[in-house]
Amino acid sequence: MSKAGLIAARLLQIVPTFLLIGVVVFVLARLLPGDPVSAMLGDRASDEAVNRLRQQMGLDRTIFEQFAIFLENAVRGDFGTSIAFRVPVTSVIAERLPVTLALTGLATLIALGLAVPLAFVAGLNANRWPDFLIRSVFQVGLSSPVFYVGLILLTVFAAWFRWFPVGGYGEGVADILWHLLLPAVTLALSFAAVIMRNLRASVLEVLNAEFVDFARAKGLSRRVILTRHVLRNALISTVTLVGLHAGSLLGGAVITESVFAVPGMGRLMVDSIFARDYPMIQALTLILAVVVSLAFLVTDLVQMALDPRVAR
Amino acid sequence: MRRTFLKASLVALAVATGLVQLPSIADAATRGGKMVYARYADSLFLDPVLNDANVDIWVLTNLYDTLLQPTADGLGVQPGLATKWDVSGDGKTVTLALRPGVKFADGSALTADDVKWSLDRARDPKAGAWNSSLASIESVSVSGPETVTLALKHPDPTILPALATFNSAILPQKAFEASPGATPEEKAKSFAEKPIGTGPFVMTAWKRGVSMTLKRNPYYWKQGEDGKPLPYLDELEFQIIPDDATRLLKLKAGEIDGTEFIPYARVKELQADPNLRMELWPSTRVRYLTFYCGPTYKDGKPNPVANPKVRQALNYAVNKDAIIQITTLGLGKPMRSFMSATTPLFVGQDNLYKYDLAKAKALLAEAGMANGFDLQIYSLSGNGDDANDLAAVQQMWAQVGVKLRIDQVDNATRTARYREENFGMRTSAWTNDISDPSQITSYFAYWPNIHSLHSNWQDKRVDELFEKSQQEIDPKARAEQYREIQQRYNESAPILYLYETPYPVAFRKNAKGFVQIPLGNNLFEAAYIEK
Repeated sequence: MSKAGLIAARLLQIVPTFLLIGVVVFVLARLLPGDPVSAMLGDRASDEAVNRLRQQMGLDRTIFEQFAIFLENAVRGDFGTSIAFRVPVTSVIAERLPVTLALTGLATLIALGLAVPLAFVAGLNANRWPDFLIRSVFQVGLSSPVFYVGLILLTVFAAWFRWFPVGGYGEGVADILWHLLLPAVTLALSFAAVIMRNLRASVLEVLNAEFVDFARAKGLSRRVILTRHVLRNALISTVTLVGLHAGSLLGGAVITESVFAVPGMGRLMVDSIFARDYPMIQALTLILAVVVSLAFLVTDLVQMALDPRVAR
Repeated sequence: MRRTFLKASLVALAVATGLVQLPSIADAATRGGKMVYARYADSLFLDPVLNDANVDIWVLTNLYDTLLQPTADGLGVQPGLATKWDVSGDGKTVTLALRPGVKFADGSALTADDVKWSLDRARDPKAGAWNSSLASIESVSVSGPETVTLALKHPDPTILPALATFNSAILPQKAFEASPGATPEEKAKSFAEKPIGTGPFVMTAWKRGVSMTLKRNPYYWKQGEDGKPLPYLDELEFQIIPDDATRLLKLKAGEIDGTEFIPYARVKELQADPNLRMELWPSTRVRYLTFYCGPTYKDGKPNPVANPKVRQALNYAVNKDAIIQITTLGLGKPMRSFMSATTPLFVGQDNLYKYDLAKAKALLAEAGMANGFDLQIYSLSGNGDDANDLAAVQQMWAQVGVKLRIDQVDNATRTARYREENFGMRTSAWTNDISDPSQITSYFAYWPNIHSLHSNWQDKRVDELFEKSQQEIDPKARAEQYREIQQRYNESAPILYLYETPYPVAFRKNAKGFVQIPLGNNLFEAAYIEK
C-alpha cells in the first residue's frame, strides 16, 4: 500500500471508531451515579431547583433524544456548553490541549533522549557493569509512583534549590519550557525505563542476527554497522512502543498535571468527571481519541520510512 | 472609623479565641503591590444570585457589596451600601438609607433603582438556589433618590442578615442589561465573565481553572486606616492549585503570598516556620455524620437507628476527643449543638454525648439491640478527614457490636444517594452562609424543607417552633424558641456529633490584613504586602 493509500485507509477507519467512542462515552458518563445537577447544586438545593435545572439542561429528556441532539450538534462542530464552566467546551479545550501536547511531547523527547543512548550502552555492554548500573537506575524510575517522584523533584529542585518554579505554567516558549521541565521529567522517567529495556533487548537481538555477522564479515566498520544496521533495526520496535504508549502518556499526564498545577487536559478531565460535566467529558474523550489515533498514524508512517517491508 | 472598629473587633475575637497569632495591626498598612493567593479550586459562576458553590460565595464580597454586611464575628450586621436601616414597629417595613456617592467599578453611580432591580432579581422564586432568603419581601420600592423601602408579607427576623448575605448583592442594572445575550440567563453568563460591582476589586482577567486577576477598584467607598480609599493592594491574583502539597511548597518557596485549606497535619510545621504565619480563623464549620432515621431503608429492611435510643447510644460510643486528635491534631472542638458555637442564638450543652461506653451499651440493651447490628455509610473517596474519622468510628462502634461498612464514593454519587434518601449514613460538613441560625435549622431540623438533611427525622414541635421563630421579632422569644429547638434536636440525635474546626490559612510573614469571617467569606479589602 502506498503512503497516501495508508493514510486514506486509516482516516476511513477512524470514522466508525469515533462513532463507537462517542456512543460508549455518552452512555458511560450517564451510567455514573448522580448527574451534573446533583454535582453542581450540592447538598442544599431543593427538589424544585434540581428539577428546574435538569429541565434547563435537557436532562429530563430520554437518553436517545439527548444522544440525537449531541450527534446533530457534534457533526456541526458544536460540542455544547460546559456545565461547570458555563462557556463552550471547545474554548476551554482550546486553552488546555496545547498545554498537554507540549507536556507529553516534551516528556517523549526526554524519554527518548535518556533511553536511546543508554539502551545502546547497556546493549553493547550486556551483562557487564554499565549494563547493570543503567538497568538498576531505570528499574527505580519504572517502579516509582508518578505523584511521588513529582513531589520529590518539586521539593528538591524547586523548593530547595529554587532552580525551577513550583508548578504552574508560563508565558512564552522559554518560560513554558522552564515550567514544564520538571513535570515532563516526572512523566518521562517510567516511560524512558520501558523504552530502554525494550531497545536494549532489540539491540542484543539485532547484534546476534545473521545479517550483522554478515556485515562484519564484509569488513564494514563498527560505526557503520551500529548506525546503519543495528540502530535502524532496533528502532523499529521502539517507534511502535512510543506510538502505543501515547495513550498511557496522556493518562500519566492526569496525575502529573495535578501535582505540578499544570492547566492541561488531564486535570480538566478529572474535574469534569467529578462535576459530571457531560459535554466536557464527551468532547475531551473524543479529542483524546483523535490525538491517539493521529499518534498511531504517525507511528505507521515512521515505521514505513524505517522498514520498507511495512509499506508492502 | 468603621475600619478601625472592624479591626478592633477582629483582633479582640482572634485574641479571645487564641486562634490567630496576633498580626501586627499597629503597623501602618503598605499601599500598592500585588498579592498572590492560591485557592484549591476555581470559581465557577460569579453571579451572586445564580451561583451554587462556596468557591463562588467565598470570593464574591471582593467584587460586589451588599446593603448590609456581616460583622467580623459573624453574629450581627453592620452598614454596607446602606448606612442606616429602620424596621417599623410592626416589623413589616424596612427602610434603608443608601450611602451617598457610591460608584460601580465602571465609574457609573449606584442608584436606588439598581438596588430595587437587584433585590427583585434575587428574590425571584424562579432564579437560583438562594431566593428563599428574601421570600418575605412583598415589594421593593424606591422612595427617594437615596432611600429604598421593603414591604414585607410578615415580620421577618432574618431580613437584616439576609440583606447582608451574598445573594442580595447590588449589581448595576444598565451594565447587566447591556451584556450580550438574548435571555436573562445568557446575560447573567456574560455579565459574570466580566463582573462589575461596587466591591474593592474588579476582575480584569480570568483563565479558567488557572488564575484570576483582580485589580483595585478606584471608586471603592471604604476608607483605609490612612484615611484614603481601600483597597491597599493594586492587584490580587488567585492561582488555582488543587494539590495541597504543591500549594504549600509554593508558599514555602515564596512564589505565592498565601493559601487556604492547609491540611491539619501540616499546621504545626507551618506554625514553626519563621517565614510564614499560620492563621486559624473561627468558623461556622461543623463536621458530623448524618443518620438516615426513617423506620425502613429504601430496600424495605428495618432501620436499626430509627430508634432515638440507638442513635444516642452510637453517639455515646464515640470518643470525640480521640477523633479530634486523630483527624484535626487537636485543632477541632467537640460540637455542643448541631450548629456551631459561632452561630447567633447557639445554645450549647457542654460534654454533649461525652464518651461513655457503659451508657452506650445500656441504651442499646434498652432498645433491644444488645447484640449489635450492621450499618452502612457513604464517604468521599480520597478524603483524608473522612478516612480518619470513619476508621476511628468503625473501631469504637465495634466495642458495642455495631459493624460499620464504609462505601467510598465520589461527591456526585454521595449527593445522589442523599437526595434519593437511600443511605444508612453519610459523611457531611456544613458552614453557614448567613449570620442567623435559621438557615442551618431549616436544613437540619425543619422537616418540610429537605426532610431534615434527607434523614426523614421529624419532630412536629420543632417544625412548629421553627415556623414561629421565622416571624418572631421579639429577640428574647426567638432565642427561647431556638433554645428549645436545639435541645429537642440534640436529644433525639439524628446526627453523629463530631467537631467544629477553624479555617486554616497561611501567609508569608509580610502578607497581612486578610480576613476570613466565620461564614467563610475571604476579605482582601484591607490586605497588603509589607515591603
